[in-house]
Amino acid sequence: MSVTINIHPNLLQFTNDQAVVEVNGNTVGQCLDDLVKQFPQIRQGLFGKDGKLLNYVDIYVNQESSYPGELAKPVKDGDELHITLIIAGG
Amino acid sequence: MLTGNELERYDRQIMIRGFGQEGQEKLKRAKVFIAGAGGLGSAVATYLTAAGVGVIRIVDHDRVELSNLNRQVLHWDEDIGKGKTVSATEKLRKLNPEVEIETIEEMITEANISRLVAGFDLIVDAMDNLPTRYLLNKVAVEKNIPFFHGAVYGFEGRAITIIPGKTACLRCVYRGAIREEKFPVIGITPAVIGCIQATEVIKYLVGIGQLLTNRLLIYDGLNMKFTEFRLKRDPNCEHCGKLARGKK
Repeated sequence: MSVTINIHPNLLQFTNDQAVVEVNGNTVGQCLDDLVKQFPQIRQGLFGKDGKLLNYVDIYVNQESSYPGELAKPVKDGDELHITLIIAGG
Repeated sequence: MLTGNELERYDRQIMIRGFGQEGQEKLKRAKVFIAGAGGLGSAVATYLTAAGVGVIRIVDHDRVELSNLNRQVLHWDEDIGKGKTVSATEKLRKLNPEVEIETIEEMITEANISRLVAGFDLIVDAMDNLPTRYLLNKVAVEKNIPFFHGAVYGFEGRAITIIPGKTACLRCVYRGAIREEKFPVIGITPAVIGCIQATEVIKYLVGIGQLLTNRLLIYDGLNMKFTEFRLKRDPNCEHCGKLARGKK
């Protein structure tokens, strides 16, 4: 299953400035695992030491919120993920 | 009833199709609560004051610092050291003396939030941290008060409009606390997002247009892109889940 991931600008430091990455997987979690396989440094930007998504990581599948339970959400060939980061400044 | 002075002051917006004198009277009758007089609060308060909202209450406990002035445009160099509510009131009253500006110099907490928002029709989130935003979201849901969320970081901002019991609330889509930090920001970002929040408030009060409900709008100033994501209510949301389940 080929899925496109759009990387948030603040995470580009972990993907050699690659804003769009093609990954494989049947769930959001598998897609993120493949992303980490391609760019191991991005793990620290997505996951805590407990392996859970960091609270400020926000994932959308085909422009729709995947929260809650995002890692288990199924994806299909051609789907598009957006990784955004929750911000709180005012 | 609008006075002759008000008819002249608001002439250009009264001309807008669907707005009219009736819309202006709705703004005049409205009481809007703005949480925060910083970057977002400066933009929201300025444009709601200019538009003629009847009563605006601004709550902020901070004092003006030099490092605020790149973005918090209600506060000027001469205001350094003053309470932000004092500084904001001085400017807003000069901008439009027809609007009643109320200010409260307090930190928003779980203990006082219910009292602070009592009697207000809308809550605007112009805060700089997520925990207070959750307090605002929760009280908005409990009291059934529409809530207008905005947040910024660097050249990026986001906004959501929340109608309690009807559309996704902040807690439906956000996982929990995030680390508080000194965040980078350029003044134009809260200006853009604050103006989007003010636009939503005016549309809601007048009853025109389509609100930013069940949608997250992300503004990327560096690439000059607006991206929209669809949101949905979480029936198990710890803030509005009871309302969602009650509707079934």
